Amino acid sequence: MLRELLSPKRESSRGALDGERPANFNILVGKLSEVLVKAIDKPLGYAINWGRLWSLWPVHLETACCSLEFGAASGPRYDVERFGIIEAFGSLRQCDLMVIQGTVTRKMAPRVRMIYDQMPEPKYVIAMGACAITGGLYFDSYNVLPGIDGVIPVDVYVPGCPPRPETLIQGCILLQEKIKRTRFR
Amino acid sequence: MGLEIDRERIPGFDVEGKDADGMDKGILTLSVGPQHPGSGHFRLIVKVDGDIIVEALPDPGYVHRGEEKMCEYRNYIQNIPHLERPMIADSCGILYPYVLAVEEICNIPVPERAKYIRVIMAELNRCIFELYWLGIYGIFLGHSTMFMWPMADRELLIDLAEMASGARVTHAYFVPGGVRNDVPDAFPEKAKRHLLYFRNRLKEYKDIFYDNPLFQARTVGVGILRREDAINLGATGPVLRASGVEHDIRKVEPYDVYDELDFKVITMNEGDSFARAYVPWLEMYESVEIALQALERMPSGPVRTKLGPNPKGAVGEVFKRVEAARGELAYYLVSDGNPKPYRVKLSVPSFREIPVMAHLLKGAKLADMPSIYWSMNYWPVEADR
Ligand code: SF4
Repeated sequence: MLRELLSPKRESSRGALDGERPANFNILVGKLSEVLVKAIDKPLGYAINWGRLWSLWPVHLETACCSLEFGAASGPRYDVERFGIIEAFGSLRQCDLMVIQGTVTRKMAPRVRMIYDQMPEPKYVIAMGACAITGGLYFDSYNVLPGIDGVIPVDVYVPGCPPRPETLIQGCILLQEKIKRTRFR
Repeated sequence: MGLEIDRERIPGFDVEGKDADGMDKGILTLSVGPQHPGSGHFRLIVKVDGDIIVEALPDPGYVHRGEEKMCEYRNYIQNIPHLERPMIADSCGILYPYVLAVEEICNIPVPERAKYIRVIMAELNRCIFELYWLGIYGIFLGHSTMFMWPMADRELLIDLAEMASGARVTHAYFVPGGVRNDVPDAFPEKAKRHLLYFRNRLKEYKDIFYDNPLFQARTVGVGILRREDAINLGATGPVLRASGVEHDIRKVEPYDVYDELDFKVITMNEGDSFARAYVPWLEMYESVEIALQALERMPSGPVRTKLGPNPKGAVGEVFKRVEAARGELAYYLVSDGNPKPYRVKLSVPSFREIPVMAHLLKGAKLADMPSIYWSMNYWPVEADR
């Protein structure tokens, strides 16, 4: 038992807390952390994901007309607050969700990127509306980007022009599913 | 002493001399937007001296999507969907002059019933827009109830519009030659019920919002626009009428059946942010009146003139304007005899509010900026086109 414990050639499994460990890692600590990881990895990861899941705060950033349906979705009939989504008017540093609400023009794209870079990790992006996905109705316009995914990474695409509030809510639920299944790092 | 800022001790503050822009060195330049709590996708470069704004330079153009250029390579019917996108909260209002202009240049007659349906839909959309705007105005002055109530009442009217046209906000309902389809049989009765409920509901807004001392403290006497300035700077719509000018295209230059309907033009003389928020509220009563009258008088019959596949315009030009929810909205359309317009020019009310906004912000307190900004009825997507 003890020899097994002190044996230097034990393979360390990829711990969720500190990733890959080198082979000559202090074996006792290695064992301890392994036991710890085994014991708390799942519950801790679950708790942290659960926290992220129910407090998605979008940035107050409107890029075009889809913001109207975003407003309607935060209204009393659709009420995205049920899913823990409430617009953070205060500061970018409190936000972890960015909903690109429609068309991004050449003038707006650098600002979108700047705002995205200022948000703290973890951050998620929803591309709302046909314009944010491919350019939509404005696919042949001279000033509109053909989709936002060349500027920032997108997690969920919500199609529509504009998407109905129900569709936006479904997109948010999809994002929550995604967070639930992500392994906590 | 005490509250006085000792500028000489703050680095970067030099009371003597001018900076590169020719402004005093003690003046601080703030860039507000396009991401900030007080507005939409719009940037204001504000120069402040302490708490007072010395100069406000608007920087629009974040949503310029080239609507006017796009019109030139689509035909008259294909232009309908993208032309209502600049202002989807009032999509009938922004499409109305385009449809009138195309009807004139292509010489398309309009059935009588369609004219009444258009008036009803335009007035419904006016209410839908004004409720949305009122909600946003409320929340940016820190009044969350005023966000929730109009948003809830708005959904009832959206239900009506959806019943007639099939879409929540982007109806594409007006087409050259009438409206796209007739309203369902149950529409007039349901519309009457919802509009009467809505009219009663509007009364409660006064108690919770307009009589609220906090709201009054932030708006009464703030950003006063005098009558002459309103006319000289080219303000339109509720902003103009709140400064005491009685000007409404529905009365001055009636289109469709507005000359047969009975309504008042609302004006106020104060010209401050409060009046600019109060006029739309009174106008919503008038809109309900107009819609109810139109529902009474609506004749039966066809709603759309059958068109050929690709209607051609006569050679010439046409200018049409209507009173949209934010003010005078005009289209100038040039045709060279092809199925596609040669040039389409939009004159939108939001863009005309920019000089007014810059004028009002000068000399105002920085904290009054949201109340002035939102009272302007300014919508960046529409202004940038
Ligand atoms: S998808 Fe449609 S509604 Fe949304 S921004 Fe684009 S044009 Fe506007």
